[in-house]
Amino acid sequence: MEDIKTYIESGILELYVLGDLNAEEKAAVEAMSKLHPEVKAELEEIEKVMMDVSLNLAIEPSLKVKENFFSQLTFSDEEQVVEPVIKSVVTEAKVVPLSKVANFYKYSFAACLALLVVSIVAIVNLSSSLKNSRKQIAQLQSSNQTFANQVNYLDKKVYSTNQSIKVLTNPDFKMVNLKGTDNSPSSNIMVAFNSKEQKVMLDFTNMKMPKNDEQHQYQLWALVDGKPVDLGVFDMEEGEIGLKDMKSIGTAQTFAVTLEPRGGSVSPTLEKLMVIGNI
Amino acid sequence: MIKANKVFLEEPELVIALKQQKKIGAEALYSMYSASLMGIIQRVITDNEIAEDVLQEGLVKIWNSIQQYDASKGRLFTWMVNVVRNLSIDKVRSKDYRNHSKNQDLENHVNSIDIQHNSEYKPELMGVKDLLQKLKPEQKIIVDMIYFQGYTHVEVAEELAMPLGTVKTRLRMGIIELRKYFK
Repeated sequence: MEDIKTYIESGILELYVLGDLNAEEKAAVEAMSKLHPEVKAELEEIEKVMMDVSLNLAIEPSLKVKENFFSQLTFSDEEQVVEPVIKSVVTEAKVVPLSKVANFYKYSFAACLALLVVSIVAIVNLSSSLKNSRKQIAQLQSSNQTFANQVNYLDKKVYSTNQSIKVLTNPDFKMVNLKGTDNSPSSNIMVAFNSKEQKVMLDFTNMKMPKNDEQHQYQLWALVDGKPVDLGVFDMEEGEIGLKDMKSIGTAQTFAVTLEPRGGSVSPTLEKLMVIGNI
Repeated sequence: MIKANKVFLEEPELVIALKQQKKIGAEALYSMYSASLMGIIQRVITDNEIAEDVLQEGLVKIWNSIQQYDASKGRLFTWMVNVVRNLSIDKVRSKDYRNHSKNQDLENHVNSIDIQHNSEYKPELMGVKDLLQKLKPEQKIIVDMIYFQGYTHVEVAEELAMPLGTVKTRLRMGIIELRKYFK
């Protein structure tokens, strides 16, 4: 052991690491190192400090050294010519983003087309349903119109019925039945007469008269003390209902209706006497 | 740019890569050790351009003779240092180098190196001064000559007129001082 220590302290190991021994001496140190772990450990320590010092004193050489160094080497794992490798890397690096961009546009275009198709389908659907809706609205409007007409008609009918009831239930009104003459035996008209209020009303609801033409009109007359008094003209129309006010008169003995030229006449045309009735 | 490309391998992997002549081996060799080796070369050869030529030559030599390296006999770095140191010494002792720069007086060598480096201002080298100042003067000159300048211990003994044993023990004591410095 003492020998080993002396050996280590002789400084030969430092010279070995520094490469300052001849082949014989070197071989001797290597043999010692294999035999004695202390020697090996000491050698490793010396090597370590040498590395530490070198790192401490390191100087970065210029790029030229690396270039020249690499230009003199042949690698086992690479093509001899480095250029094409670099080129292929470069083209790869360029191609990848380009194709990515191209893909991006491709997908964008596809997405736009798809969106367009969807939009067109949606528009067609919407326009057809809009057409349907418009048809429905028109139908609803027309049925609404019909309904409103019916309501109006019923309204009018209710009103006239109410009025008729009022007239009929009013004791001041006298109901005068005018019966058809030989000119029109099936005709019949009811006249409501209120002498107190001087009111004369024609009942259109139950009126039975032949339809008059465009050139002629019926004219209502009152016979007051044998003299005919004009009470107004009227037309016989389908669907006409209710009581209609005629001209006023206080007293009368008889009511009669003649067919006169449109607008009426000053005195009745007796040949065309249609109905007549006494109070 | 270079730093971004740095490749590091564990020493056994690096040795395998180098022996198989893989490109990654060359990359790792360069990024891990070129600066350390350059530092060692520049201790011997102060001329930057010549030092870089020697480094390049040394790296190629390491690459080409890697099969001779035996891991059981020591670290890869130790082996590489010996390769580049021998190249450097050969260069320094070659005729054209002697013509290129006149040899300096050994006695003043430590100082002259410091002066040279100060005048050139290489901050990378400032550490040498600090390192050597840890040492006693009699250790300093021997460590500098052998460790940094590549003199053999026989040459130093002759130059300094000292017994070989004294040179060796002073070298050892000096290196032990350096070991303390790094612990």
